[in-house]
Amino acid sequence: MIGIFQEATPEDRKKYYTREWRIEKIPDFIRENIHLREFGFDHTGQGPSDRYRFFRDEKLFTKFLRYRAPYAAYSSVALYDRPWKREGWISSELVFDVDAKDIPVRPCKCDNICEKCLDQAKEIVAMITDTLRDDLGLQEIHIIYSGRGYHIRVLDPVVLKLDSEVRSQILRYVIGGDVPDLSYTGLDGSIHGLDHFMVPLGYPSVFTERSRYIILHLSGDEKIEGITRQTMNKILEYRDLIKSDKWGEFKGIVGPEWVYDKLVRGVAKLNLQLVDARVTVDLKRILRLPSSLHSKVSMICTYVRDLESFDPLVDAVPDFVKERV
Amino acid sequence: MMFFINPFSQEAKELVRDSGDLDKIIEEDARLISIIEYTRGQRLDDDSRIPGSLWELSLKRIEWYLEKRGRRRYQPGYYRFLFNPEIAEFDVIAFHILAQAIGAKFNPNSRESRIFIELEAEIVKERLSRMENRERERVISGILGEMLDSETPHWTKLEKLLENKRIKLTELILKDGKVILDKSATGRTQQIVKSIRENIIPALIMQETQEYIYKIHEMAAKIEPHPILAELAEKIRERISREFFIPRKTSPGTLKASKLDFDAFPPCIKNTIKGVQAGNRNDAIVLLLTGFLSYARLYPAVFKERKPHKVSDFDPTLSITLNEILPIIYEAADNCRPPLFQDDPQEKLNITAKLGFGLHETPSLENEGETKWYTPMSCEKIKIHLPILCKPDSLCEKIQNPLTYYNKRRWQKRKEEGDRDIPRGNTRR
Repeated sequence: MIGIFQEATPEDRKKYYTREWRIEKIPDFIRENIHLREFGFDHTGQGPSDRYRFFRDEKLFTKFLRYRAPYAAYSSVALYDRPWKREGWISSELVFDVDAKDIPVRPCKCDNICEKCLDQAKEIVAMITDTLRDDLGLQEIHIIYSGRGYHIRVLDPVVLKLDSEVRSQILRYVIGGDVPDLSYTGLDGSIHGLDHFMVPLGYPSVFTERSRYIILHLSGDEKIEGITRQTMNKILEYRDLIKSDKWGEFKGIVGPEWVYDKLVRGVAKLNLQLVDARVTVDLKRILRLPSSLHSKVSMICTYVRDLESFDPLVDAVPDFVKERV
Repeated sequence: MMFFINPFSQEAKELVRDSGDLDKIIEEDARLISIIEYTRGQRLDDDSRIPGSLWELSLKRIEWYLEKRGRRRYQPGYYRFLFNPEIAEFDVIAFHILAQAIGAKFNPNSRESRIFIELEAEIVKERLSRMENRERERVISGILGEMLDSETPHWTKLEKLLENKRIKLTELILKDGKVILDKSATGRTQQIVKSIRENIIPALIMQETQEYIYKIHEMAAKIEPHPILAELAEKIRERISREFFIPRKTSPGTLKASKLDFDAFPPCIKNTIKGVQAGNRNDAIVLLLTGFLSYARLYPAVFKERKPHKVSDFDPTLSITLNEILPIIYEAADNCRPPLFQDDPQEKLNITAKLGFGLHETPSLENEGETKWYTPMSCEKIKIHLPILCKPDSLCEKIQNPLTYYNKRRWQKRKEEGDRDIPRGNTRR
């Protein structure tokens, strides 16, 4: 579609905010506490330098947005007693930022973002939300299409007061950032160890799933410490084995134990890049405001009601781009 | 006898409540001595090694941990009694006496408090490992029920343990928000769950001990502690200080050698000193640079020795800290864009806090111990929090912390320069 992924002009922005944007497009979880959030704006395309903004109500906010038609609009993941000073912290959503252009394994090899890597971002989001639900038992999970990827925003009361360290641990869990330690002491006192794929639940199973994703999406150009070109070729040739869960066989083909260990450690490092970790651990982060325009790519930051059927190239395209077609 | 492992159990609380007068803790107790004498494997060749009273037993617990950590002179035969369940009644009272003395007299973040908390975890670990399998399982189930109300608690029940890095979330088996710690897992997973159960108990006791120390410390601010506890605290301080005493045999020449070597700094530190942009400034200066420079200058061997030293152990007058370390940190803060203290003046307090001197404008000896002396962020954390500063070179691939880089690079440099007096690894200078 012509105009998608192209920068919006000031006229486009004006058109969007006056004709298309409506306050109702902001999700309820932000609307209901608009007065407790810090807002930030980028008016020039250089970054959100206009920060510490506070709006007493939706009316004032609407007026501001229509009048200024910013390049980008952001709101805090935190609620504050005094948002204009970023003081009196009350709580912060638990957030995961999956940016399509930063996915560590991109078979599309595009320079920026494309349909394929946006689809990949969607797959990653689906995996993370499944783990948040099935393992961590979280329910209030909201997904936002950010314009170049997705934000997962968790609002279960049990996570809102967690500190950075715990958030960082949740992040490592859901993306498979640690190689599982599955050693145990046998009855005779000797130490035994299991492979991640031998334990079919909990974190080992999450790690196995993420590893499967990474290995199946390797293009072969990725640098994994300790993995030679020859081993990488073997991995690419035999990776279909893990599609049908034949991990043991795959491990045997990759090489001796230590080579597989290196592969697994390398995969854990790649897993860590599936999500922008800084966003998750920062309690005072501002995130692109759902309903606002991502001017750099001319797409709408959109609340996703059904991930499976959501198509950013249809559901997040502003009218001014459609009119260009 | 759950309280042999868990000093916070109901039974333990009742025992402590009925234990009576604090003045009597210095009195010799024949029953205690007899239990020790009849402990299997206990060495009895030195009377001074055998505690005769609760006071002495309290100090022996500390001594055991310090000696065990010190390894070289550790003689387990002298401390067998600590693992004899018959001593449990005395031991639990000794634990609470120690906690009261330490909590009342030292800051909860002080070295003394941390050693006490670590000691408790270590003693629990060792006691559990010495138990017969079925008995261990029974005790663990009991403690989990007591401390977490369930053998399948919601993971948020372990929030404090995660926050304090006593356990990792990725070490647990979670399902529908519950941590699987019961026997419902089947096959090989059961072995893993068993191992998690054993690891979680010391972590829980550690956490509970830390919170207990906080409570006592708060109460001590309102009520004057018993003089005998103050006296015990002083003995503990002396004993621990002895462990960390650094002989002053370093000549001026060696001191000069330990001056900061800027050329040996890793790329992330060099980038930080040049100045960091808004968004990364606070973490770079406070969490990375402060720990790095202070340890590089004063205690580069921290990751090798892992002893909870204080800044004043190396810099008793704080002259190095105030005249060498802080000026570089402040200059780097000024190089930030915009300068860090211009819009975040409170970060000066955070820098002081990371050096172990609490939230104050500048470090001063009277505040030492209010906070912990933080080691610099690991490479793994830098990659997450400050990826913009992480521009790894070939040496970076082999290390996990910027401080290790510094030590290795310094060693390499001196080797290249043909220095015959090269320190072996991260030796303290």
